[in-house]
Amino acid sequence: MYGKKASQLCQELSRIEDDQLHPFNNDLFNQVLEESNEHFYQLESRMTKMHADGLDLQTTQNQDYYGGLIHHLSLLRNKRCLLTYIYQRTQNIQRLRWQLGAVLPEDIQERLNHFEKEYFKSYSDLIGSYMTSIDLDLVVDVTPPKDPYIQVRVMDDVGEVFLDDQSTSLLRNSIHLMKRTEAEPLISQGLLEEFAG
Amino acid sequence: MARYYDFDDILMEEEPVSVVFRVAADGVGLLDPSSEDNNVEAGAKVDLPAWLAQELFQRQAVLVNLPTFYGQKLRKEIQADPGCVDLRSRCPYFYELGCKLSPITSDPTLGAFLLSTLRGRYKDLLCKSHSAAVAFTPQYMNLLTKEETQMLEAGRNSMKAFKKWRLQGARIERAAVLGRKRRQNT
Repeated sequence: MYGKKASQLCQELSRIEDDQLHPFNNDLFNQVLEESNEHFYQLESRMTKMHADGLDLQTTQNQDYYGGLIHHLSLLRNKRCLLTYIYQRTQNIQRLRWQLGAVLPEDIQERLNHFEKEYFKSYSDLIGSYMTSIDLDLVVDVTPPKDPYIQVRVMDDVGEVFLDDQSTSLLRNSIHLMKRTEAEPLISQGLLEEFAG
Repeated sequence: MARYYDFDDILMEEEPVSVVFRVAADGVGLLDPSSEDNNVEAGAKVDLPAWLAQELFQRQAVLVNLPTFYGQKLRKEIQADPGCVDLRSRCPYFYELGCKLSPITSDPTLGAFLLSTLRGRYKDLLCKSHSAAVAFTPQYMNLLTKEETQMLEAGRNSMKAFKKWRLQGARIERAAVLGRKRRQNT
């Protein structure tokens, strides 16, 4: 049936949980593109046939017109499905920037295709330059903090780091009280864990 | 156009609808399995996806028949007890598809029927979504259409958020940070 493969792409989207990302389905995507090309040739051949018969394309409604119409509609449908597939993925990629920061972990990188990596980089650069221009880190404090300091436990030997302009040694399982803004990126990278006494 | 990028809308429009062609169309034999040449004759009865059926109806090329799951048999079942009817296996987009088909079929009672169905099932749905702590019977989930499942999830999420808010600030903070960390691991 026309548009079946395109809807399978969208089905894939609907199965995915909110914060997961599947590898780009190149295979199915290309198959839909091929199908769309086929629709286009069919549509074109209907139109040339009507032209050869000397019919007015605007007003005639014969069987060639309806055949062409169905191919035209299928083409639009495929286009919509393909665009939706790309659009929903870019939405997810944008969300990754806010959740994980400018550098993506290896396993997530692998699930993006070449263009999506470019997209992520440009998006990340845009946010970066905007945050520099207003001199504010928008990624921290997504939920309003109750206290500027939090207690954290160190998950792994990190070594010497500069916190609050003085050098601190973060040893595994040690507990520190530090500024929330400084702790937050380290927590999201999995180096620290919030310690609820 | 507002829902152009909505994949649920796209999947809903994929549901098959039975139509009768009022005109002949050449070069689209794939639509009609019984056609021998590559054409569809006028008067042929074919199952088309809803998106195609709707567009062709607007150009007066086809007549649309209501799918059987909007028929008298199911209406009687739903009248008897709306909560127990398995709508998902009939059509996962029962309401949305009905709304789409309602203006293009000759049946004026379809809209009212959909509304009364939802009304009959809604109360039960709301109760179940708020008692989220009680283990869910998967059988009940299997009866729900996609739209109803979304409503149920929305109800459960707002209940969860409410409980979190009642149990003071510290817990909110902890969950938010831990949640972000867990996402990274997936």
